[in-house]
Amino acid sequence: MDSRRAVKVYHRNVAILVGLILLVFALIPMVVTSPYILNIFVLVFYMSTLSMAWNLLGGMTGQNSLGHAAYMGLGAYACCLLVVKTGANPWIAAVFCMIVVGLVAGIVFYPCFILRGPYFTLVSIAFGESIRQIIINSEFFGRASGVGLPFGGDSWLNFRFASKVPYYYVGMIMLIAIYVLMKKIDRSKIGFALKTIREDEDAAAAIGINPTRYKILAVVISAMVAALVGFFYASYIRYIDPDLMIQAKSTESVLPAVVGGAAYVEGPIVGGLLMIPLSEYLRANFSSILPGINMLMYAVVLLVVIRFRPTGILGWYMHSRVKQWIDEKILKKPPVEVLEEAELLEYGKKEA
Amino acid sequence: MDMFLQACVNGLLMGGFYSLMGMGQNIIFGVMKIVNFCHGEMLMVGMYLTFILYTVFGIDPYLAVPIVAVVMFCLGAVIQHTLITPSLGTKSFTNLLFLTVGLGLLLSNGALVIFGSDYRSIRTAYSQTYIHLGPVTMALPRLISFGVLVVITIALFVFLKYTTVGKQIRAVSQNSVGAEVVGIEVKKIYILTYGLGVALAGIAGGLLTQFYTIFPTAGASFGFRALIVVVVGGLGSIPGAFLAGIFLGLLETMSALFISPSYSDLIVFTTFIIILVFRQTIIARRK
Repeated sequence: MDSRRAVKVYHRNVAILVGLILLVFALIPMVVTSPYILNIFVLVFYMSTLSMAWNLLGGMTGQNSLGHAAYMGLGAYACCLLVVKTGANPWIAAVFCMIVVGLVAGIVFYPCFILRGPYFTLVSIAFGESIRQIIINSEFFGRASGVGLPFGGDSWLNFRFASKVPYYYVGMIMLIAIYVLMKKIDRSKIGFALKTIREDEDAAAAIGINPTRYKILAVVISAMVAALVGFFYASYIRYIDPDLMIQAKSTESVLPAVVGGAAYVEGPIVGGLLMIPLSEYLRANFSSILPGINMLMYAVVLLVVIRFRPTGILGWYMHSRVKQWIDEKILKKPPVEVLEEAELLEYGKKEA
Repeated sequence: MDMFLQACVNGLLMGGFYSLMGMGQNIIFGVMKIVNFCHGEMLMVGMYLTFILYTVFGIDPYLAVPIVAVVMFCLGAVIQHTLITPSLGTKSFTNLLFLTVGLGLLLSNGALVIFGSDYRSIRTAYSQTYIHLGPVTMALPRLISFGVLVVITIALFVFLKYTTVGKQIRAVSQNSVGAEVVGIEVKKIYILTYGLGVALAGIAGGLLTQFYTIFPTAGASFGFRALIVVVVGGLGSIPGAFLAGIFLGLLETMSALFISPSYSDLIVFTTFIIILVFRQTIIARRK
């Protein structure tokens, strides 16, 4: 009985901590009024979400895609074109663009999953670049000059605001929703199947996991999330052009995940929260004298993390004394034996 | 017809560079089984090195090639020793991939910080000399560069085929554990291979300078084309890489001539995806 109470206290403490973090983030727009700072937060939200989309495919399934900017760009284009050409509501366009991009990704990558390791990465680069070339060469997509969304008064129906605060909240909700989704996938049968494929595809096939089916599932979900980010980006910036899909953008979308820890669902968020504000600060303050300094810093951090902490910042934190201290002193995490005992009790109750 | 011949020659001359880049990528991929995603950036570094040697020391771009090769070899060896070899131990493909991607970012943005985003070029006394061969016109520097490329290709082929070190490199690429068992120092071969691959990219960069603009992201398109050459030409095959490079150059100019110049990139990329998927499907069927 005692063990159960200890576990309960621990769970309550974790909930309080998570609630506090959420509260702080929810209160930020009421304290901070500078649009510049809010813009950085919005950037963190959507880049981290994009990075989580990559993480499902790269970190969890082990298929290192370097073409995620193409899914995002395609999503943004599908949404913008639907709104501009048919005058549809942006929220309907969001659903539409997710379906379209999911279908495109599924159809294009179905034959490509015979490829493994580096070959898959190469195809993803070639795919991204091909999509960009098609858009640049096509009148329908507005060629290189891009597409703009209509401007107008504030309205929730059209997802259009002059202030950055609504975008902040929508971005935050998007990030949390996708995080919960990824966490659910991580803990589910699909997640375990994907991780088995990452470790050894032949072994996965031998124990009855169909690798192609699960990889398609991963790529479609990943592409749909990226398309959602594309919709958010298009609604926020209100103008898109093919430069959205250049190779550098794909790389940029992966960096938060790799720096934060690609094996963890939280990795992209941690990486995004640390790296993007730093990068934006450098870009705003030094880019006039030293262009490229923000990406240079990114590259240095990336190399240092990979060389000295191959599992990323979160991978290092998970085995560090800091986490141990927080767990024991602040969250009052009971020892492993107590946790197991409580789990057994819980299990016994369910059986009965 | 004249246009066609001219396009053939242009494709051939450009294809030579793709081959040289592809060969460097090929030996790195063959030996260490990693894709060097900063190969294009190495070409860019080679270009800037040649540019510095020309503007500061007044060394002719072609005479600078050996210097560039040596410097790039050392750079590659240092990168391999300090960054890639330790990471090879973790066996994480994701990390190795982003290690080279990160190096690429470091080099291209480093160049952006140091040199700015200005387009630079080298103009020597003979840059604007043209040779007329029947209906075809060729710039002299392109011709010289192609000659140098062919010589280097043959030298590389002979080096890998007949020298002891070359044989050791091939042994490691076939089976690194077996090579270690028979007494080959695999780590040294890794350093040598990466240095050699990077030096080849640097040489390609040096040879390009006279008819190509120099800017921090100049290498990106060459880097990806080098990967195409590796995949199409086959692993470990120097003649294959050479032919694939030429094929790629011809494909580009032909699609520009017969379809539209703006579609040439698209055609190259889709052809690559189709070839790759077909080849791997055939390989998988054979098993």
